[in-house]
Amino acid sequence: MSQAKQRERTITFEETGPADDGTTPDEVVIALSPGFGEISTETLSGVSHAEILRETMAGIEEEGASIRVVRVYDTVDLGRMGLISSNLSGSGISIAIQSRGTTLIHQEDLLQLDNLELFPQGPLLVPETFRAIGRNAARYAKGESPAPVTVENDPMTRPKFQAMAAIWHIKETERLDEARGQVELDVAFN
Amino acid sequence: MVNNKPGPEETTRSGEEGTQKRSKRFEVLDNRPVNRDGLVEEWPEVGFVAMESPNDPDPSITVEDGTIVEIDGVEREEFDFVDQFIADYAIDAEVAEEALGTDSVEFAHMLADINVPREEIKRLAAGMTPAKLTEVVNQMNTVEMMMALQKVRTRKNPGNQCHVTSVKDHPAQLVADAAESALRGFDEAETTVGITRIAPFNALSLLIGTQCGRGGVLTQCAVEEATELELGMRGMTSYAETVSVYGTEDVFKDGDDTPYSKAFLASGYASRGVKMRFTSGSGSEVNMGQAEGKSMLYLETKCVLVTKGCGVQGLQNGSISTVAIPAAVPSGLRCILAENLIAGMIDLEMASGNDQTFTHSETRRTAHMIPQMFPGTDFIFSGYSAVPNYDDMFAGSTFDSSDFDDYNLIQRDFKVDGGTRDVEEEEVIEHRNRAVRALQAVFEELGFPPITDEEVEAATYADGSEDMPDRNQAQDIDAAQELMEREITGADIVKILVDRGFEGIAKNILGILKSRVSGDYLHTSAILDEEFNVVSAVNNPNDYEGPGTGYRISEERWEEIKNYRHAVDPKDV
Repeated sequence: MSQAKQRERTITFEETGPADDGTTPDEVVIALSPGFGEISTETLSGVSHAEILRETMAGIEEEGASIRVVRVYDTVDLGRMGLISSNLSGSGISIAIQSRGTTLIHQEDLLQLDNLELFPQGPLLVPETFRAIGRNAARYAKGESPAPVTVENDPMTRPKFQAMAAIWHIKETERLDEARGQVELDVAFN
Repeated sequence: MVNNKPGPEETTRSGEEGTQKRSKRFEVLDNRPVNRDGLVEEWPEVGFVAMESPNDPDPSITVEDGTIVEIDGVEREEFDFVDQFIADYAIDAEVAEEALGTDSVEFAHMLADINVPREEIKRLAAGMTPAKLTEVVNQMNTVEMMMALQKVRTRKNPGNQCHVTSVKDHPAQLVADAAESALRGFDEAETTVGITRIAPFNALSLLIGTQCGRGGVLTQCAVEEATELELGMRGMTSYAETVSVYGTEDVFKDGDDTPYSKAFLASGYASRGVKMRFTSGSGSEVNMGQAEGKSMLYLETKCVLVTKGCGVQGLQNGSISTVAIPAAVPSGLRCILAENLIAGMIDLEMASGNDQTFTHSETRRTAHMIPQMFPGTDFIFSGYSAVPNYDDMFAGSTFDSSDFDDYNLIQRDFKVDGGTRDVEEEEVIEHRNRAVRALQAVFEELGFPPITDEEVEAATYADGSEDMPDRNQAQDIDAAQELMEREITGADIVKILVDRGFEGIAKNILGILKSRVSGDYLHTSAILDEEFNVVSAVNNPNDYEGPGTGYRISEERWEEIKNYRHAVDPKDV
C-alpha cells in the first residue's frame, strides 16, 4: 500500500500497570519498543505506527486468537524484547516491534537470538506484511506450523537507512527505564 | 531522508514548484546514486566519529610485578570487564613499557618501511594498549596503511571468501551456487538463512556443493551460536566466524556475553576441530547506542585485543554489518582499513570486510575494496556475494555475482591476486548440475521433500532465486529439524553419496572431516589446498620486505588471471 493511500489513523496508548504473565492459552503478546509512537509516529521508511499495529492486531483477530499489547521499557534490543514478551504470553508466542519497523515473532522456549521469524530490514515492511505477521503469530499460538511470511531483502536498505537507524536507536535508548519493566497498554485507534 | 540536503525526489519537485531555478549541473549530481546514501556529520558525544574522537584516551600503561595495573589512564580498580580482560590476556606485559615508550610517529614509520620486518612490528604491537595502537595508525594516510597491510597480513598468499545464500532458502539453488563458488576459486563459503529453523539444510547444501569440484573449501552457516556450534560438531560445517565481540561492557552485556564467555565458546569450537574466528567491526557500539562517546576505531581496537586475548586465531573485521555507519561519516573507509591493519599487527588472521552493501554508488563500492584487494589480505572479502545481491541474506555484499567479470578484470589490469578465477560457462553448468543431482540423491535417501527434476534443471541454469520454482518451505523446515533430531552427521552424507555414485564429492567431504580430526587447520589463517594440505601463517608466513619479496603471482596463476574469456587473440583477427 502506498503511503498516500494509508488512512490517517492515529493511535493513543494508556498504560494500565505492570504486565502480568498471561493465562489465556491462545494469546499473542505484541511488544512495542520504548519509543514506538513516541519518538516518532512512523517507521524509518515512513509507514504509520498506527497502521502497522492495527494490521498486526487485525491479522491476529482474523485467526481468532486473543491479543495483549505491552510496552517494554527495560531493553531496546529486539531479540530481548521478543524473549521477554514471549514469556509474558499465555501461548508463549509474541511479536516484538521496534519503532524503526524491525520486527520478529518469538516463542518462549527459544534462545534470545533464536526466533520463529525475523524481519530484520524494517524499512521494507508494509502494512500487509504486518497483517501476515499477525496471522502467523496467531497460528503458532494455536499450535499450527504456518509457512513463514515471505522475507523481503533489499541490499540497499543498509546504505540508505543504517546511519539513521543508529541515531534512532540512540534516541530510543535514552527512553529506557528499567524500573518500569514491561507495562500493559490499552490501545485506541482514532 | 538522512541528510538534510535535497535528495533525488526533492530536486524534481522543487523545479515544478518554481521556488528556485535549479542548476542543471546540480540536478544531475543530486540524481546520482551516491546521493541516495545516508550520510551524517560527526556527533562525537555518542561516538558518531570514525577516528580521533575528542573523548578517546591518551595512551599509557603501568606494569607492576608483571601485572598491568593501569591502561590508557584507567586504574585497575576502575577497569570494566573489557579493560580487565585486555590487561590480563591480550597485552604482553614484558614489552608493554618499551612499546608505549616508542614514539607513535616513529612506529608508524616502521609500519610503512619495507625494511622493517613483520616480526619486529608484531613484537612491539603485542605490548600496545588500545589507545596506543589507535594513535599509531591515526598517523598514517591511506597509502601508508596499504603499504603496512601488505606486510602485516599473516598468510603469504591472499585469499577470498564468499556468501552463498538464497532469499527462498532454496536448497537446490544453494548447492549449485556453492559448487560454482568453489570453481571460481573462493577458499571459504558462508551461508545464513532467511528462516532460522532451515539452517541445517543450508549447511548441508554448502557442504555438498563446495566439495563438488576441487575439494578443500571450508564452509560455515552463520546462525544463532548454539545452533552454529552444533552444526559444526555434526560435521555439517567446518568453520565459524559469527562470534561477535564488542568494545564496551554495555554492548557485550546486551548480547548476554562477556569476553570470558566468548573465550569459553571459542574453546568449544577448537575442541571439536572447527576453525573459527571472531567478528567485530567499527560502528557496532554506536549502532547499539552505547559507544561512550569514543571513536569507532578506538572501540574496534578493543575488540581486536579481546579476540587476541581469547586465543582465537582470526578476526572478521572491517566494519562488517555496521559498515554504513562509519561510511556515513568522514574518514570512515580509512577507519575500516585501519582496523584491518591493527588486526594484522596483532597477528590475527584477517577477513577484511567488504561483505556488506554500504552505498548506492558503483564508484564508492569499488573504492572501498581496493585498499584491501591491492595489498591483499587473508580474505579480501569476508563474504563476496557469489549470488545476486537480491539473494544475499547478509543484506547484500559490496560485490556480487554480477561483478565476477569486473573483479577478474581488475586482477588482470593490475596484476593483483584477488583470489578468484575466470571460468568457462560449460564447466559451471556441469558443476552446478552435478551438485544438485547429488543433493537430490541425498534428499531421496533421507526421505526429505524431493528435489524435482524441474528444480535440478532450474538450479543448473539459474542466476538467482527468481529463476527457481517455489518450494513448500514449511515441509523443508520440518525436514531440516528432522535432520537434527535423527542426528545425521557429515559421515552419513559421505556414505549416501558413495552409495549413489557420487564418489568424488564423497571423497572430498571425507577429506574435510579428516581435517577436522587432525585439527591442523586451526592454525592462524589456515585454508586447505586441493589436496587438503593446510596452508597457514605457520607454513606459509608473510615475509614481505619490499620488491621481490613476499607473495608474488606465479607464472601459472598469472596465466589464469591473464586469459579472460572475452579477450580477443590478435592472431585470430
